[in-house]
Amino acid sequence: MPRAHLMTDHRRFTDGEAVIEVDGATVGAVIGELERRFPGLGEVLTHASSAGVDGEIHAEPEYLEVGPDTDIYFVAPLAGG
Amino acid sequence: MTATENPPTKYKYIGTRPIRHDGYDKVTGKARFAADKDLPGQLRGSFLRSPHAHARIVSIDTSAALIMAGVKAIVTGADFPTLDVKNPSHDIAVNLMARDVVYYNGHAVACVAATTKPEADAAAAAIVVEYELLPAILTIDESLAEGAPLVNDNNMTKFVESDGPSNLATVTELGRGDVDEAFAAADLVIEREFDTADVHQGYIEPHACIVDVGLDGRADIWASSQGHFKVRALTAATLGWDTARIKVTPAEIGGGFGGKTTIYLEPVAARLSEISGRPVKIVMSRDEVLRATGPAPSSKSRVKIGATNDGELTVMEASLAYGVGPFGDMAGLVGAMSIASYKMPNLKLHSVGALTNTPKTAAYRAPSAPHAAFAVESVIDDVAQALDMDPIDLRLKNAAVEGDLTAMGMPHPKIGFIECLEAMADSDHYKSPVPEGAARGLGTGFWFNIGEQSSATVNLNEDGTATVITGSPDIGGSRASMALMAAETLGIDVYKITPVVADTESVGFTDVTEGSRATFATGMAVVHACRELIEELKTRAAKMMEVEVDTVSWVDGAAVSDGKDPVSLAAITAKAKRTGGPLTATGSLTAAGAGPSFAVHCCDLAVDEETGQVTILRYTAVQDAGTAIHPSYVEGQMQGGSVQGIGWALNEEYIFDTDGALENASFLDYRVPVASDLPMIETIIVEVPNPSHPYGVRGVGETGIVPPMATIANAIQRATGTRMTSLPMSPPKILAALNEA
Repeated sequence: MPRAHLMTDHRRFTDGEAVIEVDGATVGAVIGELERRFPGLGEVLTHASSAGVDGEIHAEPEYLEVGPDTDIYFVAPLAGG
Repeated sequence: MTATENPPTKYKYIGTRPIRHDGYDKVTGKARFAADKDLPGQLRGSFLRSPHAHARIVSIDTSAALIMAGVKAIVTGADFPTLDVKNPSHDIAVNLMARDVVYYNGHAVACVAATTKPEADAAAAAIVVEYELLPAILTIDESLAEGAPLVNDNNMTKFVESDGPSNLATVTELGRGDVDEAFAAADLVIEREFDTADVHQGYIEPHACIVDVGLDGRADIWASSQGHFKVRALTAATLGWDTARIKVTPAEIGGGFGGKTTIYLEPVAARLSEISGRPVKIVMSRDEVLRATGPAPSSKSRVKIGATNDGELTVMEASLAYGVGPFGDMAGLVGAMSIASYKMPNLKLHSVGALTNTPKTAAYRAPSAPHAAFAVESVIDDVAQALDMDPIDLRLKNAAVEGDLTAMGMPHPKIGFIECLEAMADSDHYKSPVPEGAARGLGTGFWFNIGEQSSATVNLNEDGTATVITGSPDIGGSRASMALMAAETLGIDVYKITPVVADTESVGFTDVTEGSRATFATGMAVVHACRELIEELKTRAAKMMEVEVDTVSWVDGAAVSDGKDPVSLAAITAKAKRTGGPLTATGSLTAAGAGPSFAVHCCDLAVDEETGQVTILRYTAVQDAGTAIHPSYVEGQMQGGSVQGIGWALNEEYIFDTDGALENASFLDYRVPVASDLPMIETIIVEVPNPSHPYGVRGVGETGIVPPMATIANAIQRATGTRMTSLPMSPPKILAALNEA
């Protein structure tokens, strides 16, 4: 199953757990499952997170496909000047 | 400029230094900036701005102003839709025109359109506003104090559970390992506190626009910005209009550095034009730019670092607070993430954005990273001195490499920090003796960079020349960069390509230029379009050569098939009508994989201990560009970032009086460095290609401003023995610190 890596801020929803195995074929599906298991987390990940997958950060990753061995790093949304 | 000599590369055009396509226009004054645009019958706009840092607007009386000579329209907050507080554009809407409350001295309260600027100014001054003063919060400490009055009743803290309005914009916690255990085990622990003032981007061109709303309700906008699609989106959102009503034509931009990623004028000019039936032009004065557009936030921080005696950095604990102005801002969030240069197995970061009744802050080159780097790189230099280690050796021992974790927990992709440190160690500057009477400082920095959406259309002309059309304003030489990438891909000379920055109706959607994304993401869109064209060119050539298309390859600007003479691009375009019609292609994408860029800076300086004056004697910037598409413009970005950072370090600061009025709202009193202040900034480009870009590009526009403050503070420390922890390190502060030491 894909592994969701959570920032410290997100772990308040998971009793401090940093890495969670979650079933899902897309990042959006993974977020949906995380929301089901940890209510409130899904909204934070949807509206206040980007996702790092295979070394690339995706700003709006909802439809990004992931495989069973994918590590998804939920990180804060980035901007710049 | 000290031009870096780059070794020959595998590319024919990329890495060369052609004269930029817009160079002649810029040098001769032919280039058209927003303030240069005039329309028949235009009116001029003038704002009335709040004289108070925080007050409720009891009433606004425009009756006397409306009957003054030349006045055609006046707008106040009542002339704009009220957006829901959760609308992403809510704060921008309120910032561009106050509604029931003014949140800072300089906040727009009304705007007049009149036949001439003096008439508009006079009418704005005749508007009568009654205020009820509210408590004003001007500093981070005041904002975070227990029981502090609210800066903005609408602000809810982001990313945490909240039970009501707060002065906190964001609260961020990041960490790994066990910091308490690591500090207990460390051989050396150094802890310091730092603070920095609000600073402005200092772009030479003030904000300006002209807007013409026709009888059909459609608006034509000419404006200077870092992204005209964002101008369109924000104007539509704040006016409640459909996007299709608005066309934005990008003017040339005279500097932005993050400060022109948002809007201040366009919706106001649009409403005035709609009411008056005339085009309305608004050009900010320098006073308005400094009082009413976004500076970078102030900051206060505490950094504690632990190390072993052999120079392993084992633990860091940091708290960062950013003073972000009266609206929610991401500074605190990004600030916490901007500490990622070292392996640092144990890490605890706490970061907040604190609201203040000062101008709404905006991005400024690597927003929030310079503040954090000033603190962290200063303490790391103290560690190096305490351990009697060379500052590069200490950093080489601890530098992050591919796979090491960032503060966010995600592994770094391929990065070039080690290569930058090695390049500095090998530089003429670093290997030269420190001049007598001077001292040398070193600092480092990094920025993530981002991708986002870009579009490009490439049209091949009938004579084999090409037009490359993009939606990214040319801020730092991007026309030349786009042309170079197209030339390399198509295999035609760069001067046969005309790069065009098109309006919002003439090219596909393109996100604002921020996060050093234009050469990376828009360049990627150009390459995609060119590659699509090459496939079509091969198909056309196959017809001309009477061969199967799968036997055709594209080599150096020509179609090649065994046993046939090569067919040049120009030969194919000449017969386009007979082989299938015009040759055009579009690339549109959401770019992921923006490569982080690291930098290492070195400075030799002298301190006059009688006056506190700092003289920069030599300054070198090393930065990883991935691949330098046009090295001169990479160097320009490195030099520009360095100089702005030097200004931030030594002179620049917003000085507010006790009522929140900015006391130094001019370039005479807000002192940015000028050419005569500094030596030529030497540059060394490091190229560790970004594997996620077709030509290895990393953004280069932001990282250069991250290291200078610590670089200079570290040099001052080594010159005087005094650690400066407050920016700017102006002569009075240095004298005070020396006297205290």
